Amino acid sequence: MNHRERVRAVLHDQAYDRLPLVSFGYWPETLDKWAAQGHIAKEDADGYRREEDNGPADRRVMASLGFDFNWCSTVGGNNYLMPLFTEETLETKPDGSRVIRNVEGLIEKVNDHIISIPAFVGTSLTGREAWETLYLPKLTYSEKRVDEALFRKLAQESDKREMPLGLYVGSLYGRIRNMLGVEELSYLAMDDEDLYREIIDVVGNLCYRVAEKVLSYGVEFDYAHYWEDICFKNGPLINPAVFRELVAPHYARISKLLQSNGIDITSVDCDGCVDLLVPIWLESGVNTMFPIEVGTWNASIAPWREKYGKTLRGVGGMDKRVFALDKAAVDAEIERLKPLVDLGGYIPCPDHRIPPDADFAITAYYCQAFRKAFG
Amino acid sequence: MSLFQEISENLQKGKAKDVKELVQKAIDEGYPAKEILDEGLLSGMGIIGEKFKNNEVFVPEVLVAARAMNMGAALLKPLLVKDGVKSCGKACIGTVKGDLHDIGKNLVKMMLEGKGLEVIDLGTDVAPETFVETAINENCQIICLSALLTTTMSGMEDVVKAAQAAGIRDQVKIMVGGAPLTDAFCKKIGADAYSPDAASAAEIAVQYCTV
Repeated sequence: MNHRERVRAVLHDQAYDRLPLVSFGYWPETLDKWAAQGHIAKEDADGYRREEDNGPADRRVMASLGFDFNWCSTVGGNNYLMPLFTEETLETKPDGSRVIRNVEGLIEKVNDHIISIPAFVGTSLTGREAWETLYLPKLTYSEKRVDEALFRKLAQESDKREMPLGLYVGSLYGRIRNMLGVEELSYLAMDDEDLYREIIDVVGNLCYRVAEKVLSYGVEFDYAHYWEDICFKNGPLINPAVFRELVAPHYARISKLLQSNGIDITSVDCDGCVDLLVPIWLESGVNTMFPIEVGTWNASIAPWREKYGKTLRGVGGMDKRVFALDKAAVDAEIERLKPLVDLGGYIPCPDHRIPPDADFAITAYYCQAFRKAFG
Repeated sequence: MSLFQEISENLQKGKAKDVKELVQKAIDEGYPAKEILDEGLLSGMGIIGEKFKNNEVFVPEVLVAARAMNMGAALLKPLLVKDGVKSCGKACIGTVKGDLHDIGKNLVKMMLEGKGLEVIDLGTDVAPETFVETAINENCQIICLSALLTTTMSGMEDVVKAAQAAGIRDQVKIMVGGAPLTDAFCKKIGADAYSPDAASAAEIAVQYCTV
């Protein structure tokens, strides 16, 4: 079997020869550290920054560690702001930090010497006028959003491909959060509900049309994939009832489109405690949870499987914190994963990108131990 | 429905403008500022905190409720000062050195204020000495530390050590929270309390201030 066949078999609860060894990439700083220690080439650390997941640099790093492929091996059309805003520095503080307007129009505090999520300061999406003049034109569908040559080529290669390929469908709420920030988005829902609903609908419709166009070229995708990140350690950043009413219909519509094109595995990348959103996703055709964060809220596929049955699949759920520990910790983690793998429909994968405290040799040891345990 | 109930219920719905108007009405009708604060604003925020803890309301509802509370509290503040009313406690809060995230920190701040505590927000990427100097200069009973990342949470121990070095460790409680935090980590670094969520943090803080 090749990796493509393995993924399809595992997620459809069919027989397979061995589990694929899946990666979720790294923090760029992790690769900088490993390059400085001589474990990987500096060009690959730099290349990963440029190419991101599953590019040539990522593939070389994965090969040196022992991973088979990156779950975020997806392609898609441009279903977001096009073009992005131009990043600009609005203010430089005495401590070296900067207030910037980022490419999504968000105003945030960054510090080039600090590895962290930026601090929210404000948004350019300040109301209807800003929406209609600055954002709406960037969220309008056109055929330029889809690279015809790429998808024609992928369609021709569909039969030969040995690696799984996902269709990146977009983000129906996470990117909206990115444009406004959690606080401003929450205020908007209260202060201008019509605009709030309109933004959700515009983004949902854009994602649908881009996916529809991509699928028209006949590429045989193995799964579809969303990025959301709309939860924190204690639960969702949106009221689930609002999510069900306003966002879920867009998932359901896109799922119908995907299913009519033979795609029955749809994963969603959402950090944090997703428990309350899982049933809404499942009802809307999103059936594969990723990355199942162990570190922040002790997530596991087991209770979901018990509650929702085999319709729910999972990729993730491997506690990446062991990469900073020792071989015994890795061995214990592999033992913890064994009964979860036995549930079927589940592929372990680090529960987030590998952080800078990870040790290269221990990460490589995880790959060896995984192979030994799972074939 | 009493005026205080109206304030509380509108606050819970996040209707900031209505809360502001109702608080002004209560002031105009001669109610003491402390009573408006306790029976109207803090009562409403307390209900929101409890519902948040029980997953009956979510982050957006907390944010709009806190905004409504702040708008009402702004009208009361000069009157509370004039009446010599003091807050039930004082805390400084910030995200530790090297960490820029602030959503969790802001939620805790809102919940603490919702319990009637005065909170000094030191922002993000805060040095250990800044926490300690603020606690000393502002007579804070509590230092609240937030971290999102496994790579920055070790900075919390630096604050504990800085408080020890400054000789204030027995005068100030140090509370920690954030995605990668655990009670075991809290104990390991010698902090006083770990809280898994913002509402619980506020309850612990109130206990510390009333002891």
